[in-house]
Parts: sequence; structure tokens; C-alpha cells
Amino acid sequence: MNRRNFMRHGGALTGAAALGQLGVMAARAATPTDYKALVCIFLAGGNDSNNMLVPIDTAGYANYASVRSGLAIPQAQLLPLQEQGGVLRYGLHPALTGSQSLWSSGNLAVVANVGTLVQPLTKAQYLSTTTQKPATLFSHIDQQHEWQSSISTGDASTGWGGRLADQFAAANGSAASLAMISTGGNNLFVTGAASQALVIPTSGSFGLSGFSTSAGDQARRSALVSLLGLDSSADLVAAAQGVMSDGLAASALLNPVLTSTTSTVAQRFQGLSSGTAAQLLAIAKVIESRSTLGAQRQVFLVTLGSFDTHTNQLATQQSLFAQLDPALAAFHAAMGDIGAASMVTSFTLSDFSRTLGGNTGGGTDHAWGSHHLVAGGAVKGGVIYGSVPTLALGGPDDEGAQGRWIPTIAVDQYAATLSSWFGASASALSSVLPNLAAFSPSTIGFI
Amino acid sequence: MAGRVWGSLAVTALASAAGLLVACGGSTAPTGAASTTPPASTTPTAPATPTAPTSPTPPTSTGPSAADTARFLDQATFGATAADVSHVQAVGFSAYLAEQVAAPVTQYTGFSYTPHTAPTTCQSHAATPTDASSLCARDEYSPFQVQRQFFTHALGDTDQLRQRVAFALSQIFVISSDSVYEAYGMADFQNLLLRDAFGNYRQLLEDVTLSPGMGRYLDMVDNDKSNATLGTHPNENYGREVLQLCSIGLYQLNADGSQQLDATGAPIPTYDQNVVIGFSAVFTGWGYPPLAGAAAAWNSTNNYDGVMVSFDAHHEPGTKLLLNGVTLPAGQTTQQDLEAALDNIFNHQNVGPFIGKQLIQHLVTSNPSSAYVARVSAVFANNGSGVRGDLSAVVTAILTDPEARGDTPASDAFGHLREPALFVSAVMRQLGGTSDGVYLRSAASAMGEAVYSAPSVFNFYPPGYTLPGSTQLAPEFGIQNAATALARANFLNTVIMGTGAAADTTVTGSIGTHIDLTPFAAPASASGLIAQLNTLLMHGALPDDAASVITSAVDAQSTTDPLAAARTANYLILSSAQYQVER
Repeated sequence: MNRRNFMRHGGALTGAAALGQLGVMAARAATPTDYKALVCIFLAGGNDSNNMLVPIDTAGYANYASVRSGLAIPQAQLLPLQEQGGVLRYGLHPALTGSQSLWSSGNLAVVANVGTLVQPLTKAQYLSTTTQKPATLFSHIDQQHEWQSSISTGDASTGWGGRLADQFAAANGSAASLAMISTGGNNLFVTGAASQALVIPTSGSFGLSGFSTSAGDQARRSALVSLLGLDSSADLVAAAQGVMSDGLAASALLNPVLTSTTSTVAQRFQGLSSGTAAQLLAIAKVIESRSTLGAQRQVFLVTLGSFDTHTNQLATQQSLFAQLDPALAAFHAAMGDIGAASMVTSFTLSDFSRTLGGNTGGGTDHAWGSHHLVAGGAVKGGVIYGSVPTLALGGPDDEGAQGRWIPTIAVDQYAATLSSWFGASASALSSVLPNLAAFSPSTIGFI
Repeated sequence: MAGRVWGSLAVTALASAAGLLVACGGSTAPTGAASTTPPASTTPTAPATPTAPTSPTPPTSTGPSAADTARFLDQATFGATAADVSHVQAVGFSAYLAEQVAAPVTQYTGFSYTPHTAPTTCQSHAATPTDASSLCARDEYSPFQVQRQFFTHALGDTDQLRQRVAFALSQIFVISSDSVYEAYGMADFQNLLLRDAFGNYRQLLEDVTLSPGMGRYLDMVDNDKSNATLGTHPNENYGREVLQLCSIGLYQLNADGSQQLDATGAPIPTYDQNVVIGFSAVFTGWGYPPLAGAAAAWNSTNNYDGVMVSFDAHHEPGTKLLLNGVTLPAGQTTQQDLEAALDNIFNHQNVGPFIGKQLIQHLVTSNPSSAYVARVSAVFANNGSGVRGDLSAVVTAILTDPEARGDTPASDAFGHLREPALFVSAVMRQLGGTSDGVYLRSAASAMGEAVYSAPSVFNFYPPGYTLPGSTQLAPEFGIQNAATALARANFLNTVIMGTGAAADTTVTGSIGTHIDLTPFAAPASASGLIAQLNTLLMHGALPDDAASVITSAVDAQSTTDPLAAARTANYLILSSAQYQVER
């Protein structure tokens, strides 16, 4: 089997193949002259957003604290989220000070109770046997999969970030290989029909070591490249050749950017040593060099792990937010510095939220509808979009008795809002998000 | 709609190893008299200097060929060597497998209990090392010493197959150092897998379930019964993941690994949330074993030595819904509920295909045919003597199956990408390299696989990972990307083109990592050298066009350096996709 049957992450040939596969849809895609980037921050394991967005008014907090008891954040520690008209209903987790600042400047929005859905569901509809529910609820890998693909019946082989990037293959032209870049490993979100994200290192150089200009070394390097070009009938050999070939090409483009000593974005990240900061810094460098690199539309992926807080939730989530928040703030400040504030939008994704009711181990278990943060200069921030569930075990929004919220915004709608800002036309949206028509409105308006 | 074939899954595996590496600095030898046992100081095994392989002994008319033998050894060990090929050709596969099953178990040694909270004297390795306390964080509170023993065992120990199987099991029964960070705790758990690798699956399942290391990782330890006042319920982590990942998976399977489908053509879930709640209730009432001289107590301090102990007072009362509609009656003890629940899991029809297929994927090929899976499942169901769950019989069946055997691969789809730990080990072992494991554990980490430090309970990559845009299973590609692929080549730059890694003076008995290529120095001809390496490293499977490219590159090297040809040839062969994918 020819290796070109396998999906590569980009390059001229694959770009043409992508156009061939997308056919008419690609021809209809807008060809932008500006730059835009989406930065997906994947909180792996299922972030307990019940402790990220917390009622701060007297009655609301009292109810929250009574249900959450040992897992409740102290009221005095919450960071107030002042809403329009002097309304104050919620606060952020105390470690999210940078996010609170972004909120205050109108550059961060909260989108409430987003989750996987095949069709909208009231509680009665959820309990009915005739309605469709997402496949394999409460399973990490399936729910991650459904968030990354928006296809809640399961069976997805591409992600919505990938399908979105596919729409802009023409716009990216010779920089097609840079359409999707991940600092958080391989991920379905950034897997398209024709290509897969380039995974870049977040430290050190990016490329082959040990090749001088000597004739011998250059002959060895040429041989390595030639070997990658030999046709192999073995499927996995062909796939391995593809990954390495693409890696060589991409590293040639990106190594100068990642190792640049004249980058200005790094200064915003000084003192931040977390893996999340390293990921966002690498992405900031790529965006900083967008004119040189030539891509018009880019989708990035950051992964932050360990949110599966079955035990020791308070300390663990505090530690994770303390890594995420300053990195997020630094990233958006850097985007402002390089004149890209309104061109770059970050947003969170996660497997699910967690049970409002705690377990006996100081933690929570897998749940469903979750709250998310969207940040960037184009965001219509300072607003909570959607509706926050009633925090009651067995209440009107609970799929059962442990506080697992039936989502009121579908992943499809959340994704459509971001995709639309990115430049996807209404017709393109239907191929990026095949099940979008099941939900109304199709976009939420937070950007 | 046809049911999914295993599903197209992607994994959010962290390629960055920054968080998992423990930096090493140079220092004087530690002199402190810590009360804890000094870190593992296993003298790294130094394999014999490789001799240039002679023509293989002509096989008897009934013995396996050299090529098939080498392929077999690539599957059953950490890398086929000329010596092993000769031996197995002489005795045959069955006898060799029997030897391997009978070989003494190599365990992780030199570790002993350390308190869960490191003493304030236990410094991070970043501190100027002047005594053992400076290395305490690295040696006792990180997986460093366990990881490097993994590689020393892989390179030189006799019980190669057991080590391979245990390593595969560690990716099914996953615990990670992000939670079990005490070195002795990780060593204890991996030793459990090594001991049980050729035993019965039911025993393995019980030993893992009662392992304090697993109890810590998936929250079964000190998992308390419901508290109506607080409104809390038992932790669901182990109850869910033991089903989803360690035994039966999400959907009902046929013996050949395919999904059963209902009348509408949809796959059939093996359990629902109520069953998760049932098992979560079963897995309550277990605590850490007490330290020596102490009485067993609930919520006692972490202790990974030994087996969890039961506390009926903390066990969830009431009935418990299990698989296949079975409900455990109320009133059973913690131990009784556990035994019944594990029997319930063990006897589920999925275990043979679910576990069997993954072992095939780890040892032989990512995409076994359904017939291959069915043959292996049958052996799991009955080893020929009426016993269900005989792992040594299953492993034997996997390696002797006609789909695994032969001089050439069974199909274009056959084989699997060598995962980083296996790639690194094979390079070292096949070339007779020596290592204390220090550089190797770091190199594997840079390639996306920090041994025993998986980013989540889903391992480094899930068994259902497919090549993008394809339904072809290729789990190891879940961590193969631009960054990690280049890291593989750069590892070769260090050990083949360069001088390897120097000894680390902060590691007792350190010898660094080196490959001696002098047996291949100053070859008579480039093509002769490549043919020789083709036999040694790839059982003759390097294609002619690749050999031709490499020959030209070797011919272009300077002849003033007698090792230039050997370095170039080895670098190009070992970095080639043909070597990277074991077939």
C-alpha cells in the first residue's frame, strides 16, 4: 500500500489531496487575508468546574456549601465576577486571579454547562428511553473523544479542530503543514480528514542532531531522507516514514522560531516553570512569527493533565489552576504585545465536570455538563453565557442523584461559535460540525 | 450502521517529558548514613562483546529458520541476538518457551519502605549533592532507580519473556509514578506483575486489586462506605477502570475480538453506571497494610509493602449489582464480596479476547486477524487441561501461532512500531551495548515513554489507537509524532555516532551507556557490512533498495576513521522505518 494513502500532517502534496477530498466545500471556503488562531487548552481527566465557577451570593453560596460540604471553596477566597448592571452572582476559584483580570477587562467569558449531546435533553427527555444520549457517558476516553470530535454518537475518526483546519488548507497555502500544532501530544481534536497536528517540543531544539557540513555527514543525511522516500508495502513502515518526513520538514521551518533569541514573548513567561507555561510559550513564539511562517489560520492544542480528582480534590485542583492561570495570563499579555490580541482566542475543553456530591475519599467522580473559559481580545467577555445548573442533588438538572448536570449547551454549539469567529461560513460549519443542526441557536455569541 | 471495530481513538498523551524527568547533576559520591537502604546498586550486566556473526548454523529439516527464529526472539525478548538465535534454532521454540517460563524471576531489588511524606532532610536532586540525602528525592521518591533497572534487566537478564510480558501487563494494569512516587512502591507493584506474568489471570487480578500501589493509584485504598450525613458515596475510580481497562472493556466481544451487535447493529455495553456503583461498593473497606509492629488501622499511612487489609466496618453494606445481571447479597464480608466480584469479572466472556488481543499487540502485531485472536482466546478459556486464565499458555499460543511465525511477515498490515522502551533496548541488546540504564530511561522519556510514568491510567497510548484517517490499529503511533520521531534519531546520534553517555557519578556502579562498534571496523566492503548488519539486526529483511541507499552513504564516508562506515551503516539502518517497525 502506498504510503501516501496515510494521513500526513501537511505539506504540498497533502494539501492538494486535502483539496481533492474536500472538493466543493474547500472551493467555497473563504480565503482570508488576516490571521487567526484558536488555542485549545485540554484539561485532561475531567475538571470539576463546580469549584471553578462558584455561587458567591449569600443564599447561593450557602446552598453550594451545604451540598459540597468538605469540598466547598471558602466564600471569602472566591474571586468575584462582576457582571453587567452591578450583578454579582458568581466567583472564580481563588487560583484564577489572571482569569479574573481578563474577565474585568472584557477579555474572558465563561460558558456554562457545556457538554456532549446528540440532541437537546431536558431531564424528562434524558430519562426517556426514546431519546438519544451520548455514547458511553462517564468514560474518560469516550467523552474526551466526543468533546474533541463533537460527534457524540462515538465513531469519530477526526476532530472538529482538524475538520476546521481542513477548511482553510487553501488559505494556508505552502504553510499547510503548520495549520495544526500541538504541544500536548497526539490528539483527536487536531486530526483532520487530510492531516494531523504537528507535535512540537517545548524545550530544546527541534531537529536532527549530529549533521555537520562535512561531505560524509551530508551523504548520511541525504541517505536518511532517501530512505524515507522509498515505497514500502508494509502499512506501518509507510506510516513511520510519513511521521519522520513531516517531522523533518516541520522542524526546518520551526526550529529557528522555537530557539530564537530575539523573541519578545518570552519575557511575559519569566518565572513560570510549569509544563503548561512551556507549552503556551512555544505556541506564542509560533504566533509571533506568523508573518514569516505564512500560515493564515492555525489551530493549537495544549494539554494539562491530572484533573481526574477522585481524591484530594481541593489541593490538586488548586495546584493545577495555579499552573494554568499565570500561563494563560502571560500568553494573552504576550499576544497583546505582538499586536495579535484580537487574532488569538483560547478556550478550554475537558472530558466532563465532576459529581457535585463528593465521594468518601475527598474527591468526586465522573459527571457531565461543565463550565469553560474562553479568552482573547475578540471575546465578548465579562459575561456568563448559558445557564448554570441548579446545584441540587437529584434536582432538575441532575441526570441522577449525584449532581451530574445534563448539558444545556452542546459541544457542537460551543465549537460552532469558535469556528464561526475563525472564519467558517455557515455552510462550512455543517461539515465541520455534522450534528449542529440538532441544536438552536447554532452559535452562542461569546465571541 | 455497523458497529465500531474497536473504535478510532486518539490519546492525549503528553509528548513533553519535562515533568517526568529528574535532572541529574554531577557530584561526589554520596557519603551520608541515611537510615534508609541505599539506592539500588545492581551492577549492570555487561553482555559479551559482539562478534561478527558467522553464517547461521544450517537448520535441521524440522528446526526453525534463522529468519523466523530472529523474528520470534524479537517478539519474545528485548532484541534478538546471534547467540539466542543459535540456541533457539538448536532447541526449538517449544523448548525455549519452556525454559523461559521456568527461568528464575528477576525482580527489582534494593528498595525498601520510605515514608509517604519525605523527611525534610530528603532533598531534591537539584541541591548540591554532598551525601545520600541530596539524592534522596531522586532515588527514593521518584521512579528513577526503578526505570534504570528496567533497562538493565531488559539488556541482560535471562528471563527475557517474563520481563516482556510483565512490561505488557504494566500497560494494562497501569499505575504511574505521578501518584505512586515512592520508588519502593513502584518496585513492589512491578515485582508483582513479574511474579504473576506466567500464572493465572484470576490470581493476577486479585493480586493487583489488593496491591496497595494500585489501591493508591486508583483510589481503592481507604475507600469508605457511603456516609448519609455527609452525602458521600464510595469512590468509583477502581470500580470503573478495572472493568474498562484491565479486564473486559466497554463492549461485549466475541471470542475473536469483534464487537457483538444488538438488533439495531449497535455495540452492546458490558456495564452501565449502576454496575460501576455496584463494583465501587464492593471495593470498599480496604486499607494499607500496617507497618511492622503497628496495628492495622483505617486511614493509616501509605505502605506499599504487602497486601491491603480489610475493615468490615468500612465496607459498603447492601446488595451490589455486578456483571451479567449478578447481584451480590447483602451481609457478606469485605473479603467475600471481593472474591465474588473478581470471580464475576474473571468469568466474563470478554476477558480472553480483551486481554489476549492486547498481549498480541504488545508482543507481536498491532492488527491481529480475528482468527488469531480467536485462537488465543480459546487458550485463555481452556489451556488444554481445563484451566481458564493460564497466562503462560496464552503467551505460548501467541508466539507459536502461525500468524506470528514464518520467515516473512503474515501481511502488509503485520507488525508494530517498536515502542520507545523496546526500541532503545533492542538497539543496545542487538549490538551488545552496555548500560546502567540512566541514559536509556531518559532517552525513552524523550521519545514519549517514561517507563512506569504514564500520563494517565490509559497508558501512553490506548490499544484502540488507529492511524489517522484509517481503521488500522497502531497503538504505539499514539506517541509517535514529529518531536518523538526526531528524538529516536537523536538517540542514535548519541549512541552510534557519538560516544554514548558518560557514567553518572551520582549513581552507584554507574558505567554510562556505550556501544562498541569495533567488531565492525574497517569492513572489506560497504555492501558486505550492510549484509552483515541486515542479518544481525533485521533477520535479512532490509529491502534491497534501502540497502543500496545505505551502501552509497557508507561509501561516501571518510576512510581515515575505521569506524565511520560502521557508524553510518548502523545509524541509517536503526533509524529507518523498516527497523522502527518490528515485523
